[in-house]
Amino acid sequence: MYNLAEGLPIETVTEIQPGTSLLIAGPAMSGKPDLALDLLAPGLDGGNGLLLVTTNETATAYLDRLERRVTELDQNRVGIVDCSGSSQQGASPNLAIQRVSSPGDLTGISIGTAKLMKQFTHKDITSVRHGLISISTLLQYLDLHTVFKFLHIYTTRITDTQGMGLFTIDDDSHDPQTINTLSNEFDGIVELRETETGEREIRLRGLADASNTWEPFNSET
Amino acid sequence: MTDSVSPIVLIVEDETDVADTYARWLQDYDVRTVETGEEALKQLDERVDVVLLDRMLPGISGAEVLDEIRSRGIDCRVAMVTAVDPDFDVIEMGFDEYVTKPPDREQLRETVQRLLHRATLDDNLQQYYSLVARKATLETEFSEDHLEANEEYADLLERIETSRATVDDAIGDMDSDSDFIGAVREIMDEDESGFTNTEG
Repeated sequence: MYNLAEGLPIETVTEIQPGTSLLIAGPAMSGKPDLALDLLAPGLDGGNGLLLVTTNETATAYLDRLERRVTELDQNRVGIVDCSGSSQQGASPNLAIQRVSSPGDLTGISIGTAKLMKQFTHKDITSVRHGLISISTLLQYLDLHTVFKFLHIYTTRITDTQGMGLFTIDDDSHDPQTINTLSNEFDGIVELRETETGEREIRLRGLADASNTWEPFNSET
Repeated sequence: MTDSVSPIVLIVEDETDVADTYARWLQDYDVRTVETGEEALKQLDERVDVVLLDRMLPGISGAEVLDEIRSRGIDCRVAMVTAVDPDFDVIEMGFDEYVTKPPDREQLRETVQRLLHRATLDDNLQQYYSLVARKATLETEFSEDHLEANEEYADLLERIETSRATVDDAIGDMDSDSDFIGAVREIMDEDESGFTNTEG
């Protein structure tokens, strides 16, 4: 089981079955990457590997955000596929980074993740948490049907390797039809929204034990 | 593309007794054997489904043959047969699979079968996608109560399940790195071949 610590402010769901992939959907600037990292980081304290595919921020930026979430960051457990287009040097000698020139190069992304997975295997790390931030960038480069197929393959990979996956999407950048179509590929959906009075709320759909109702959500990281 | 006739397998191997053994193991396919990369390129056309390419060839190399296949846009899967464990470099070069030499009968047959299966993946995924997109349209347009009573919706759910099973059959073992990368490469080829990294 993948423990979520206090990452998800929904009391009924504190851990995730191996093989599960969740979609985190919410408007732009609603804190989706932060929530994803809150759910990924507890694995680093618990001996899991973390494999992050980042499309619009650099590996270094994510390293900083991860460090704030764990007692001591073991960089041996972190692998990042950086498609942000940065050629930033000197991020950290210990951190495994694979660079892919464009978020549209899905073959490059798959080769990068496979190489990092192989490094985890060599270190006897068998439970891996995957993050992909974000699907919205992929949709700027590729057709919906290509992104859909890729997500089907990637979530099947997570199932077959007994991992856990979190994928983010801006639900106000795409039509409801697109969100609905892609949602089909996930075991559950974490939705974020902002009420008219500016309060943030969260809802979890799809998983057993999910309450299915909107609850207040305050991320303090 | 796969026709109703036997799939065509092209074996490129300079040792004739080895080539003959492979041909015998694969005799339920339409097997063609050639000894060099140059001959392979002469034989290659749209009808070839799978190429088994030996790593050490006299004359032009396996990598060059692969580049030529890709640049001609021939839609076939190419496996490298190699005595050294090639790890990722061969997959990064654009080969769909590798077979460690000497392969046994089952290994070789499985590889060919897997590659033929994978060739159907993009079409199967496209069909699955269309059904899921249709379902999403109905879900966007109608309320849950309405959908429960809707026959098209019920029928769609059933077809999605069948289609998904077909996809999962074609997709292979996603625990395997080469199957995973091969599957992703398969969905990229038609639309975004320009993006695919061929620099190795």
